[in-house]
Amino acid sequence: MSEPHEDDIVATKAWDTAVIRRLARYARPHSRMFFVSFLVLIGVFALQLAGPWIIKSAIDGPVLEAEEARLAAGTDAFDTAPYLREIGLLAALYVLVIVVGAFLRYLELSQLTRTGQAVIHDLRTELFGHMQELELGWFDRRPTGALVTRVTNDVENLNELFTSGLIVLIFDLLKVVIVLALLFSVSTPLALLVLGLTPVLIGVSLVFRGGARRAHRKVRARLARLNGFLQEVLSGIRVVKVFRREKRVSERFEGMLADYLQANIRTIFLFAIFYPIIGIVTLIIQGSTVWAGGGAIAAGSITPGDFILFWFLLQYLVGPIRELGERYNVLQAAFASAERIFDILDTRPAVASPVEATPVSPAFRGHIAFEDVSFSYAGPDGERVVKDVSFEIPAGQTVALVGATGSGKSTLVSLALRFFDPTRGRITVDGTDLRELDLEGYRRRLGIVLQEDFLFTGTVRHNLELGRSWVTPESLARALETSTAGELVARLPEGLDTEVAERGTSLSTGERELLAIARALAGNPSLVILDEATSSVDSTTEARIEEATNQLLRGRSALVVAHRLSTVRRADRILVLHHGELRESGNHEQLLAQGGIYARLYALQFRDGAAEAS
Amino acid sequence: MRRLWRFYQRFLRHWKQLFLGVACIPLVAACDIKITLLIGDALGRLRNGGDTQFLSGFFALVVIYALAQGFFRFLQRWWIVSVSRKVEVGLKQDLFDKLCGLSLSFHNKSRSGDIVSRLTSDVENIRMLLGPGIMYVGGALVMVPGSLFVLFRISPRLTLAMTVPLVLVAVSMKVLTPRLHRHSTGVQETLAEISHRAQESFSGVRVIKGYGLAPLERQEFAEVSRKNREEQVLLAKARGLTQSLIHLSHDLAFLPILLIGGLALIDRSLAVGDLFKFVDLGFKVFWPVIALGWITGLYPRALASAERIDELFDETTEIRDPEHPTPAPPYEGGLSLRQVGYTYHGAPQPALADVSVEIPAGSTLGIVGPTGSGKSTLLNLVGRLLEAQGEIRMDGVPLRDMTVADVRGAIAYVPQDSFLFSDTYRSNLLFGADETLEDDQLRDLIEMVCMQDEVARFPDGLEQMIGERGVTLSGGQRQRSCIARALAKDPRILVLDDSLSAVDTETEARLFENLHEAGRGRTVIVSAHRLATVRRADKILALRNGRVEAAGTHEELLERSDWYRETWDRQRMQEELEEL
Repeated sequence: MSEPHEDDIVATKAWDTAVIRRLARYARPHSRMFFVSFLVLIGVFALQLAGPWIIKSAIDGPVLEAEEARLAAGTDAFDTAPYLREIGLLAALYVLVIVVGAFLRYLELSQLTRTGQAVIHDLRTELFGHMQELELGWFDRRPTGALVTRVTNDVENLNELFTSGLIVLIFDLLKVVIVLALLFSVSTPLALLVLGLTPVLIGVSLVFRGGARRAHRKVRARLARLNGFLQEVLSGIRVVKVFRREKRVSERFEGMLADYLQANIRTIFLFAIFYPIIGIVTLIIQGSTVWAGGGAIAAGSITPGDFILFWFLLQYLVGPIRELGERYNVLQAAFASAERIFDILDTRPAVASPVEATPVSPAFRGHIAFEDVSFSYAGPDGERVVKDVSFEIPAGQTVALVGATGSGKSTLVSLALRFFDPTRGRITVDGTDLRELDLEGYRRRLGIVLQEDFLFTGTVRHNLELGRSWVTPESLARALETSTAGELVARLPEGLDTEVAERGTSLSTGERELLAIARALAGNPSLVILDEATSSVDSTTEARIEEATNQLLRGRSALVVAHRLSTVRRADRILVLHHGELRESGNHEQLLAQGGIYARLYALQFRDGAAEAS
Repeated sequence: MRRLWRFYQRFLRHWKQLFLGVACIPLVAACDIKITLLIGDALGRLRNGGDTQFLSGFFALVVIYALAQGFFRFLQRWWIVSVSRKVEVGLKQDLFDKLCGLSLSFHNKSRSGDIVSRLTSDVENIRMLLGPGIMYVGGALVMVPGSLFVLFRISPRLTLAMTVPLVLVAVSMKVLTPRLHRHSTGVQETLAEISHRAQESFSGVRVIKGYGLAPLERQEFAEVSRKNREEQVLLAKARGLTQSLIHLSHDLAFLPILLIGGLALIDRSLAVGDLFKFVDLGFKVFWPVIALGWITGLYPRALASAERIDELFDETTEIRDPEHPTPAPPYEGGLSLRQVGYTYHGAPQPALADVSVEIPAGSTLGIVGPTGSGKSTLLNLVGRLLEAQGEIRMDGVPLRDMTVADVRGAIAYVPQDSFLFSDTYRSNLLFGADETLEDDQLRDLIEMVCMQDEVARFPDGLEQMIGERGVTLSGGQRQRSCIARALAKDPRILVLDDSLSAVDTETEARLFENLHEAGRGRTVIVSAHRLATVRRADKILALRNGRVEAAGTHEELLERSDWYRETWDRQRMQEELEEL
């Protein structure tokens, strides 16, 4: 079942200087935004402190002065106006401070996100772009889901690092130091008392978060298991029903729910105990300040204003400390993700255009040649799936590959597309080694139709154009007409603008193949690479596909993995492959005359239609 | 409200814990207020005289109240949130059982992603509102009036002035929460789009590389990434607005303390200790009020979720047991179909129409035809996974008069997608068996489907985990395992829905031979793309566009059906090409 095991397996540090240094490189282009963010953070904090300070000033200033004036006057009937005015002024100042503070706070969040997102966007597009460069084998070795996780969850974790992780953490630590310093300026003995007790708070926060993280991870894993099972039962509901196993799967679900509940109860317990403990410690700190500072308050060396300021500052101290553990978790997740992302960015593509690539000549007519090509998926020493194969596709000719599953047909196609490079030998395009050629330029000259051809979500038009700038409405129309796919498109509810459902499931296999041929035709390719589908389709569609294939191959160079007799027969040259070796080669008549494997096969299969064939 | 009440009844099933948890709410609040009063009074006493003797006693009291408050707060959270989790689990179980009970026609028309989201986020929305929501609302309902009452007795004027920002924050929370949800949905959607694009790009990597489309892909991906970036910033702005409003109202609450309180201090109508009470309770009532606003903002979402969940509970299944089922004799496994048809929900054309065929017990029926000709539909009707138009009889008894359990007890069906669970190999084989099989019986089955070599290579033997976290089986291995699973229940009728497409012809032939030997008298219905699979069947139906185009033996069909003959030729050719 699909548990998010990766998160669990990668044990990471909460700090990694190398990763930080590398992330800093992404941050540098946005350094001005970072600077602004930092200014805003400082502003917010300064104003946060200014509010209580104004309140303190009011209590210790005009209120105390009025008290003294009252004592001096010896009566309640003294002139209070100047003191009231002063209070009024302070109140006005207070309003100003909190309004500006609120505005800055708004800026803080939006600015931090804006900054973080700028970096994240760069990183994400770079990551995706880099993945596009990597060779096919790299994709084949990895489950798609895991790759998607790299550009989604892992990038999101890094986002957290910027918006609520690193900057805020540094700032929180700074806050704690400043608040402590201010506490000292108010009253040294009280500050010492607080300083003595804060480690307790920090300890509780860190210990709790450690436990909470483990508990959370367990909940997540069990929830994932639960949802995975649910998803699985939904996909296999047919099997469940056929075998009347509703009750049994329900019991299994119940067991998983019980596990999930148990893990949850543990988390609830931890949280239920964490908040009260923080509360108790905070209250004890507060109580003990009154207890220990009582003498000083009574003696007047700590003024009432000081005391109230002290109270505010305590609140500002507890908040960041309580969140400390949480920030630590964010950091840890972010570093784990960063490592996985950088891992990909550090992978060099095994197949790539050289720096000084030879451009593909505009005169390229699809002439390619295989020269003693061998290939192994496991490197030079691995088992060879293609052995010393040499052949040529002269411009304008069709070469058909025939052979059993595993004979190397598809591998030859992959090599011609340069999904892989030969382990030995070389493939030349108009005499130039494919490895020295501008890869993208080469591929743009190809028209490919692969087995189980992939349709993208989007309109039929989008799938036919594939964003190729050289596919014009006219060439598209022509392609539709010659491939007979035009009729098919006309039958769709919105023609070319009909949305293709995910993976093209709303179209039948045959219709998909037809569209793939039209797609290849639309690009007016110089070289066609065609891997015919084996699945059976109804005879009408079959006839259309045959006709479309004819049109596609006419006048073009082509390498075809052939499953249709018609395709095989019209090929200029047929290559018979056996266990990666080229066993026979020639056109239909030559091979028949040769009396080899092909002839035997043909005699066996088509003796009835032989007359028609010749 | 009534809709949510139905869900609340589930909470009331745990009324003891719920009651105890709710009972803690006022105790927590009382301790909280009491501590403020203690400290305020202590300050007042300290200001008025030099006596500090009382401080030790005061501190002891603060500690006692702090501990008591912590204790009750723990119990309150522990009980209430635990109940909410128990309700969540119960709700999920009921929904799951409901889903298992619904027929295939429901599952065919619904997307599994949608169902999963009902069982996850919708259940969570309701849990949040009715569980922790109750706790926060209860806390606010006690703490806010309690504090205001205490403060009102000290200074009515100041108290009234303080309520203004409180109301302000509650209202702004209520107004802003839906907006927050909207933007967070926006972020989720754009994230889903990123994930979708990446998924497609990675799955379609051959086409993308083949056509040299990487630059275009990059450009399109950058576009969705940019959209997400915009939504993230919008969400941050909404959150920034909410938070700054919260803090603004919070700070505003101290304005009357400064202004009115300051003035009152000067004319001595207020003591410093009392002023402190305003400051401290000002801090304490604030968060409950914010929570209150937040919860009211959650309400519409939870209501929508409740509706979606109810929808699922209200689904009915059309396949039900008859009131007076025909008692099950030991069936021999003869089937007779009369004018059988089926039309999928919302489809303009029937997927199957007018199929009539006799399948004597012990015979083998082959079904062939192009994709979409109705082969799978027909097999689903026989297994009563879908309710057929027309009539299907088993040994003369209409399927409709039998219990679903009896029908499926007699039939073992191997679906097209060869689905295995991520579980041990043994559990998968035994999935449908009514009694446990001994190891040697299992080995016999494994040999029958020609899997012995593969199973011998499993590191953990029969206990081998299958699927993502274990060994991955090839398509052919999966198909053969599914057949073994069906055979494990020793059915009278074996239905194979194109279940051998990925098995090579030689193995297929051996497998059929084994089947034939072991299951004398067993009826077999097999559909296939590959005509060789059915060529030895007693009778073959060639379907086309949901109708029987031709029926007969292999030899007869070669004569009667053009489609059959052409397909046969083409497939022989392909096979020979493969076998070179």
